[in-house]
Amino acid sequence: MTEFVQNLVDGLGRGSIYALLALGIAVIFGVMHLLNFAHGELITVSGYVAYWAFTHGASWVWIAPLVVVVSIAVSLAIEQVAFRWVRGAPDFTLLLTSFGVHYVVEATFLMYVSANVKTFNRPDWITRTLHAGSITFELFDIVVIAVTLVALAATALVLQRTMFGMALRAAADDFDVARLMGVRSNRVIRGAFALAGALAGIAAVFWLMRAGQTTPGAGITPMLKGVLAALVGGLGSLRGAVIGGFALGIAEVFLRSRLPDVVTGLTDGFVFVLIAVLFIFRPGGLITVRRAERV
Amino acid sequence: MVASLARLVRIFRDPRRDFLWPLGAGGAQFGILVAAGLIYTAVVSGGSGDRLVTTMLIDAIMVVGLHVYIGNTGVLSFGHIGFAAVAAYTFAVTAIDPARKSTVIRNAPWDLNEVHLSVPEATGVAVALTVIVALVVGIGLARSGARSGAVAATVITLALLFVTHEVAVNWPEVTGGDRAGLSFRIGHTLDSRWPVYGTLGAAIVVARLFGQSRIGRFARAAREDNLAARAMGINPAVQQMVALVLSVIIVAVAASLRVYEVGNLTPKFFFFEFTLLTLVMLIVGGRNSLTGSLAGVVVITAGRELARWLSTDGNELFGLNLDAPAVDWILREGLPTIFLGLAMLGFMIFRPNGLLGDFEIDNSLRRLISRRKPSEIPEPEVAGAAAPSVSQEMRGAEQILEVSNLTVDFGGFRALDGVSINASSNEVVGLIGPNGAGKTTLLNAITGVVESSAGRFSLAGVDLTRMPSHEIARLGLVRTFQNLRLFGSLTVGDNVEVASQVAEVHRHDRPRPGIDAVISAAGLWPYRLRRASELDYGNSRRLELARAVAAAPAFLLLDEPTSGMSETESLAMIDVVRRMAGMVGAGVIVIDHDLNFIVGICDRVYTLDQGTLIASGTPLEIQANPLVQAAYLGTEAAKRGDQS
Repeated sequence: MTEFVQNLVDGLGRGSIYALLALGIAVIFGVMHLLNFAHGELITVSGYVAYWAFTHGASWVWIAPLVVVVSIAVSLAIEQVAFRWVRGAPDFTLLLTSFGVHYVVEATFLMYVSANVKTFNRPDWITRTLHAGSITFELFDIVVIAVTLVALAATALVLQRTMFGMALRAAADDFDVARLMGVRSNRVIRGAFALAGALAGIAAVFWLMRAGQTTPGAGITPMLKGVLAALVGGLGSLRGAVIGGFALGIAEVFLRSRLPDVVTGLTDGFVFVLIAVLFIFRPGGLITVRRAERV
Repeated sequence: MVASLARLVRIFRDPRRDFLWPLGAGGAQFGILVAAGLIYTAVVSGGSGDRLVTTMLIDAIMVVGLHVYIGNTGVLSFGHIGFAAVAAYTFAVTAIDPARKSTVIRNAPWDLNEVHLSVPEATGVAVALTVIVALVVGIGLARSGARSGAVAATVITLALLFVTHEVAVNWPEVTGGDRAGLSFRIGHTLDSRWPVYGTLGAAIVVARLFGQSRIGRFARAAREDNLAARAMGINPAVQQMVALVLSVIIVAVAASLRVYEVGNLTPKFFFFEFTLLTLVMLIVGGRNSLTGSLAGVVVITAGRELARWLSTDGNELFGLNLDAPAVDWILREGLPTIFLGLAMLGFMIFRPNGLLGDFEIDNSLRRLISRRKPSEIPEPEVAGAAAPSVSQEMRGAEQILEVSNLTVDFGGFRALDGVSINASSNEVVGLIGPNGAGKTTLLNAITGVVESSAGRFSLAGVDLTRMPSHEIARLGLVRTFQNLRLFGSLTVGDNVEVASQVAEVHRHDRPRPGIDAVISAAGLWPYRLRRASELDYGNSRRLELARAVAAAPAFLLLDEPTSGMSETESLAMIDVVRRMAGMVGAGVIVIDHDLNFIVGICDRVYTLDQGTLIASGTPLEIQANPLVQAAYLGTEAAKRGDQS
């Protein structure tokens, strides 16, 4: 029982980060039908910003908000420079564009910064533990879960209560009809990228706090986990993405504690196989139903 | 032997167009590539130029392989370099000298370190093993519903790339691991360029012939519109599998050559960087055409060389001595990679179909020549051409389409509720009803596009209820689409020809009019060389009809054939539909909102409302039926009644 609760909290902590990333991926997929393989680049850029701030003596109190702001800015910039021009293009073009962004960002850091690992200090409270009876929690997990819940609640509020939120949900449901109803596509798409950027920024803060380092290819793993979570929830479903994120985190932790070490190294390749298997057998996601093509 | 050869030639419909011309064009392109390489080697003397040309030619083989799959099916594959890795390791492990292997991979399982095959044998083994992997991956792709631009297919192929990489890294007993890898003897190179020439020439010819073959055409039709292809009787999974296997064979040979040329192999060689390189080569020139793919190889090889030169000697640009720190800082190592990334991004944004689009030398030349010649088939007279006596002769035995108690549910919504209709192949039956009545749903259900939850339907006694779309089409139910689903980048002629080729295979016992006759009967003769996507609305509708007719159906199912047409045009469609259905002896079931059209063409009419059948009878009976008037014709009919 003790172990179960501990694993659950651990899993929710991991899952929080995946949920934040998956929600961003789902939001963008909703408005653009783009599976954004460049979503992880927000974490890559954030990592180098964190490293830069760290070498200039900043503490995490400053780095955290900076990372979120930068992530929003980069997300908007990528939209402006690349994705804006391929709106409504065939899926083939959209896919290669997002890979193009990924390659360019990675190659830029490889070329103009360094191929080497850049390290920075983790916050000192990250290893602290809390005790409740016989159960030991990591403080970090509690913080991550709490902040994520607040962020998700805020997102839900924005989506439910504001005009922008309504427009975005309408667009995610049926973008063409939403446009006909007077939803301004520019504003909604930009808003979607800003929202995805903010969520990814929060995820980046926690990812970097735990990792304490970054490389030009650092964005790939979180991107894959986010994509997998979004797929589990059925691409394009916002609620599904969040549930998928938590489910993936919990599954990861429980697998790790139950299975021998060989199997549990949830490497990029293994994540990819999971995604592929999901696509082969449940193309509509585990949670939602597939929507019929209109003919 | 002779019979099988004859069958092989028959997959090319027109031997001149589909065999001789492509053969010539392929040879010419091969010649240009080889000549370019030789000139470059002569100009840039020394080993590095020589090496560059060899590399370029091998890359060209690889890209031709990619084109066969990606170009023809439109499925974006990141996995072909994963296939290359499988082939490369198989080749290296079997071809490296046992003496050398005893130092590199001493503990190889299954006594692999004692295997010693010649280079051709090892290549054969590599191809065989890679094809087996391709078959497994191909089944997964088919299950995921791979189609043009499908995200699922792309992710599955990416998974293959990552998995091969991870296996290569984590299985040092066979692969030599992450760092050391596998290597042939020191100082080893490909001694002669003849194997490269031979493979490249063969790959180009095979790729071009495949493109012109029936399977290649079907694959491209499905690339343009998967659903429409299935509705014509094409099973895209089959075409994709053939394309995949063929492309993987080419890629596997290229990978073996590459390894043999380089002399060593580490896991990161056939991974992301190489994927990026080959994909950029493919898309920059134009992935849909062989000419474009080869052009991309040359352009990107040159561009990358330029970037490499800039990153080392860039400060000597144009003879200026720009030895400034800023220039050095910008032009540095890694420039070739960022060049590739930017090329991919730039082309996707500004020219997603590449420099040449789907330009193919032989097609363009042939068209140029045929345009000069006066057209041999005159425009047929449109008026009064319907000759029922002729069509009566062509008619086969009467066939009956029977739909009984068909029900379709979408979630909780019952779109069709126990509808029963029947139709004979000797009549024209209309389906009318207000919007949302379930007319299109009925058509979708009996063509296998949506699943029915209850009821049955059969054609000439054959139960079709659970059959996939393409099998239903092959048995004789062929439809058109309300929202136009043409094979956009194919010509008008090719649209019709694809359908006719399906009929050739699966409906050979039916009357099959010639392609030209169908095109001119639809009034599309002047547009036969245009792309379907360039047609206006009315002509697009007529092409939908012509394509369905060319599939030699027992029943033509027409979903709003006159929608968007003017009154005169839609009245003219009465004749066109009658005449064309007569050409193949098909019955017609037609949905339309234009009552003059319906009354003018139909022998009987069924009326649907809210998913149920409310009336049936002759057009006149239907018009007089008060239920129908209330549900559908409403005030409109009442008004018309007053006027007359």
